[in-house]
Amino acid sequence: MSSALKLIRRFILILLLSICLLFVFNAVLLFYLSYHQTGNAGGWKAAQAVSDALTADGNGTYQLSREGASVLEEYQAWAILIDDNGGNVVWHSDNLPGAVPLAYSASDIAQAVRGYICDYPTTTGSHGGDLLIMGHPKTAYWKLMWNTFDYNTIAKLPQHVLVFIICNLAAIFLIYMIASSGIFRSVKPILCGIEALPQGEDIYLKEKGLLSDLAASINRVSEKLSAQNRQLRKKETARANWIAGVSHDIRTPLSMVMGYAGQLEEDTALSQEARCKAAVIRRQSEKIRNLVSDLNLASKLEYNMQPLKLSKVSMTSLVRQVSADFLNMDLEEKYPIIWETTENLPACFVLGDKELLRRAITNIIQNSINHNDEGCGIYVSLAENSGQCEIILEDDGIGASDARIEELNDKPHYMVCDDSITRQRHGLGLLLVKQIIAAHQGSVEIGRGSHGGFSVILRLKVS
Amino acid sequence: MNDDFLKEKRILLVDDEQELLDMVVSILKEDGYKRIYTAKTAEQAVCEAQRVRPELAVLDVMLPDGDGFSLLKELKKEADYPVLFLSARGEDEDRLAGLGLGADDYIVKPFLPKELLFRISAILRRSYKNENPLVPLHACRIDFSRAEIHRGSQRISLTAKEHDLLFALSQNAGKIVTIDALCEAAWGDNPYGYENSLMAHIRRIREKIEENPSKPQSLVTVKGLGYKLITEEKK
Repeated sequence: MSSALKLIRRFILILLLSICLLFVFNAVLLFYLSYHQTGNAGGWKAAQAVSDALTADGNGTYQLSREGASVLEEYQAWAILIDDNGGNVVWHSDNLPGAVPLAYSASDIAQAVRGYICDYPTTTGSHGGDLLIMGHPKTAYWKLMWNTFDYNTIAKLPQHVLVFIICNLAAIFLIYMIASSGIFRSVKPILCGIEALPQGEDIYLKEKGLLSDLAASINRVSEKLSAQNRQLRKKETARANWIAGVSHDIRTPLSMVMGYAGQLEEDTALSQEARCKAAVIRRQSEKIRNLVSDLNLASKLEYNMQPLKLSKVSMTSLVRQVSADFLNMDLEEKYPIIWETTENLPACFVLGDKELLRRAITNIIQNSINHNDEGCGIYVSLAENSGQCEIILEDDGIGASDARIEELNDKPHYMVCDDSITRQRHGLGLLLVKQIIAAHQGSVEIGRGSHGGFSVILRLKVS
Repeated sequence: MNDDFLKEKRILLVDDEQELLDMVVSILKEDGYKRIYTAKTAEQAVCEAQRVRPELAVLDVMLPDGDGFSLLKELKKEADYPVLFLSARGEDEDRLAGLGLGADDYIVKPFLPKELLFRISAILRRSYKNENPLVPLHACRIDFSRAEIHRGSQRISLTAKEHDLLFALSQNAGKIVTIDALCEAAWGDNPYGYENSLMAHIRRIREKIEENPSKPQSLVTVKGLGYKLITEEKK
């Protein structure tokens, strides 16, 4: 679900960023608009200008200068001058609407200064002790009549603003969650499905809702992958079973070949030549036997049909046992095994499948025997250093060329190679050794030994 | 070790392949076994077992009318004698199934005649050890039933560990027995770290059985690997 979490995280980040941007944008816009609103003081200034442009001629009449008249004209306003003593209008502009009274009590003046005269918004200016009231067109201003607030309201303004912002944010978040949870509900199974695909699980998503097409596509992909996997597994099983079947069926006839050849080889009534021929048949049958069982195990390991039965295995004891088995079977003493390590060896415990590891050691020794018909000495040594068990098996036989050693180390065996087969690169015995050691996370190094022949070094992690 | 008494044992061979039966019979007869009986099916095997009361059975795992594992259970109901499986099924599960049911050994086909003979004689020796006569060595004879060494008129007793070690070696007379296998025979399932004790025991055994313990002729060391007991027959 990591993708879903990432998605949610990204959405929330975008949301917060949008809120911040919106806030900044609004602040800028507000500042811009209110900056132009400062011109509202113009009405008051105009009233003062008109008042200043008004001059008394001494006999109680007043004269408005041309500038004053042009101000009134500009504002499409009218003006009256109220006498300080009686509250009477002592001068008014020519365009005074008929409804405007010509006498004012103190309360009328208070009303007029604060707000309107007959719905005309007013501004004032002083003319000596008299009052000049300028009446603007009815739609010129919108005046606040009761411009007072409770003291506490203003004192708590910052808190109120904060509560406002928090409430707004919460509201926005709630709206987002409700809106996106619907989308997320649709996306979640799709994400789960896509994440499960690489694990090779069978997936079925409900094909409904917002993303039904996508769900349907994922279902098709999953079906296709499952079908391919089943097919592949079936083929691999069939192939491994086929090899297992063949190797089983070949064992009984081969028993008879080996059995009778072994008997003839020992038959003193036969000529030496005939007994030698029987020995060849017996030896070659043994090679077929080894090949058959190697082929079976190699195919099982290749197709993961051989589960490892892990236990603590003493490699010292195992190598010793395999060496003793070979020596016990080597009646002609053509292949002496020379144990090159000190008497007091550590047990070299590794976590592994005892039978498979035994097979790997057996195969290496058998490989030396197979390639040296004239006989050879096999040198075994074991060491435990820096957490690794190192088993060195060498012979003093014919060895192999550098090119061959490189091939054995680096090129895949024909059984696990997907190129067309040009020639058999190496025997199954060593492939099996590589497979077994790889299954135990170890390494195999093939080379030329200090005794002049072939050498194989196995390295396994000590448990 | 004198194996002649083993050649008198009744051996029942069960395999559905007549040719394989013939071959095994010829291998056994050539080696001196005289009383060999054969059966081709599980049913025949049960009848034959009741008739001849075998002292060793060699069974195939796959039979036309059943499998060797069920046959083993059937045969063991009547009498307890050693059983060896001879099978073309070499998988570990089969091997373990056979040994788990109480089989004494499991040989995968194809096999060499010598291998079969060695395993059969090892099982017989192990199973009928009490009938075992004295084991002749270069300078003495071993009597396992009394845990004694007969050296001329002298009788030298063996300790329990010495007996176990000598018995494991004589079971595989003429063959190398590894240090680990000997430690396991003497000290059981967790035999690591007893190598020095083993050497001490071997030295004491040599003092009992060898003419000149510093130049052993019967109990020889195979450097790095283990020891080998040379009996007078296995020379």
